[in-house]
Amino acid sequence: MKIIRFLPLLAIVLAALSLSACVHGKKGAGHNGASDSDYVNGSPLPERQEGVSFTSSNTDRSKFRPVYFAFDSYAIGSGERGKIDEVANFMKGGSNTLIVAGFTDERGTPEYNRGLGERRAQAVREALIQAGADGSRIQTVSFGAEMPADSGSGDSAWAKNRRAEFGVVR
Amino acid sequence: MKKLRAFCAFASCLFVPIALSHGAETPTITISKSDRQAIAIGTIGGADGAQVAKILQNDLAMSGFFNLVPATSAGVVVGGTSNGNSLAGTVTDRSGKTVLSKTFSGNVRSKVHAYADEIIETLTGSKGFANSKIAFVGSSTGHKEIYVADIDGSNVHQLTNDASISVGPKLSPDGSRLVYTGYKSGYADVYEIELGSGARSRIIKFPGTNTGACYSPNGHELAVILSKDGNPELYTTTAGGSFARRLTHTKGVESSPTWSPSGDEIIYSSDDAGSPQLYRIAAGGGSGHVINTGHNYNTEPNWSPDGKRVAFTVRDGGSFTVAILDLGSGNVHTVGSGEGPAWCADSRHLIFAEGGSVILLDAQTGQKTTLVSGLGKISEPTCSR
Repeated sequence: MKIIRFLPLLAIVLAALSLSACVHGKKGAGHNGASDSDYVNGSPLPERQEGVSFTSSNTDRSKFRPVYFAFDSYAIGSGERGKIDEVANFMKGGSNTLIVAGFTDERGTPEYNRGLGERRAQAVREALIQAGADGSRIQTVSFGAEMPADSGSGDSAWAKNRRAEFGVVR
Repeated sequence: MKKLRAFCAFASCLFVPIALSHGAETPTITISKSDRQAIAIGTIGGADGAQVAKILQNDLAMSGFFNLVPATSAGVVVGGTSNGNSLAGTVTDRSGKTVLSKTFSGNVRSKVHAYADEIIETLTGSKGFANSKIAFVGSSTGHKEIYVADIDGSNVHQLTNDASISVGPKLSPDGSRLVYTGYKSGYADVYEIELGSGARSRIIKFPGTNTGACYSPNGHELAVILSKDGNPELYTTTAGGSFARRLTHTKGVESSPTWSPSGDEIIYSSDDAGSPQLYRIAAGGGSGHVINTGHNYNTEPNWSPDGKRVAFTVRDGGSFTVAILDLGSGNVHTVGSGEGPAWCADSRHLIFAEGGSVILLDAQTGQKTTLVSGLGKISEPTCSR
């Protein structure tokens, strides 16, 4: 019984692995319904550096511009690519650790927002890795809807708050 | 592929009623207002008798099972003697026959709550929740902090005082422990607090964001969302946060796991197919199967202790509504504005957040009671069982 159940899963994992060789870094097609498919593109995070975080004083949070996102989305728009390349080039030229922090606007429920913020940070990290940056020096964190860039409510504030920020550890 | 999925969904629909009919032997009892038992608070003697009578009256009214009436027209009369840490309770019926006689100990509120739950269970067969604890996030200090209180809204107490971000509290089923997501380290970590001693430890601190921790019904495991492997995914760990075992493999965001009463299954929210939907997965591993609710945005599921229903939050337009899914029939109905629902021990009442308040809802009668307010924006309430 166990083997019979395991075989289709194995086939899917193998198919996903061979697929990922050519589409690595791109978003897979949406999988509807039951999640009997797999996603193997994420890159595991490196161990944390003790005493260093996005909010600690030894982290420069103003060096790079934030990447902005559409409502309820973690896709990186083509207009934001230039910002990613800028950070990737900086990473390739040095040895700094980078912390990517993801944020959402206030319109979701809190726990989903924390997940969505993390997913945005991870999407930016993946894009940096694709652009040649060393993933073993890139951490992520999500603050969900906390720490908004604009504390107002309304389209303009929300657009500023759906973001990923870069913290460069000095 | 689509056909296979349709078949799986069909097969799981078939499986649910069969599983329930085997697991749940208790018949469904529908109680209308007229079915309420007429009960009276008789003589409560002893030094703190008057206070005991008042708390007891509130507990019995809150349960939804009773109409409090004068002793002359009551079918059942509640009496007792209360001194110091002891409360000797006696319940008699119309003929004078004793239907309950038991002594409870503890401080005045806890001994009365225990008595109330015993009365409810004896007279109705339903589990009471007067002795339950609640916890929630309040923001009146300018920071999000965790608060705890009794289910009747008394004994409100600020638990964390970190001036950081402390969110997502979940009480253990027995109410003795609490896990939450804290940002003291600058990252999102899972902390556990022993409520008796106040002892706190950071139990899950993987790289990335560690959040959404929720105790299994026996308190031995946690379901939790971890992003250490490159994406927020659902895991289970031991109660202490060790031996993380990954359950989902998606490109989307998993959030807010909740356990079935047996601990065999977990329902969670995932946006893998676009907007967040509810999914059901075996806690031992397997595939997550989508639950069609008819709503586009479904988060914060909470499984009832009797296993029959799931309360969750839907977003319609710009506002949040609490909805209830009946697992047997698949029917979904909304119960009003609010978010973050959590079932009480009786599987009849639930608490949720609405603006600056924690609200208690009797899902059977629709009656709402404000339990706590005045602590800024309140969110993510949780209830012990």
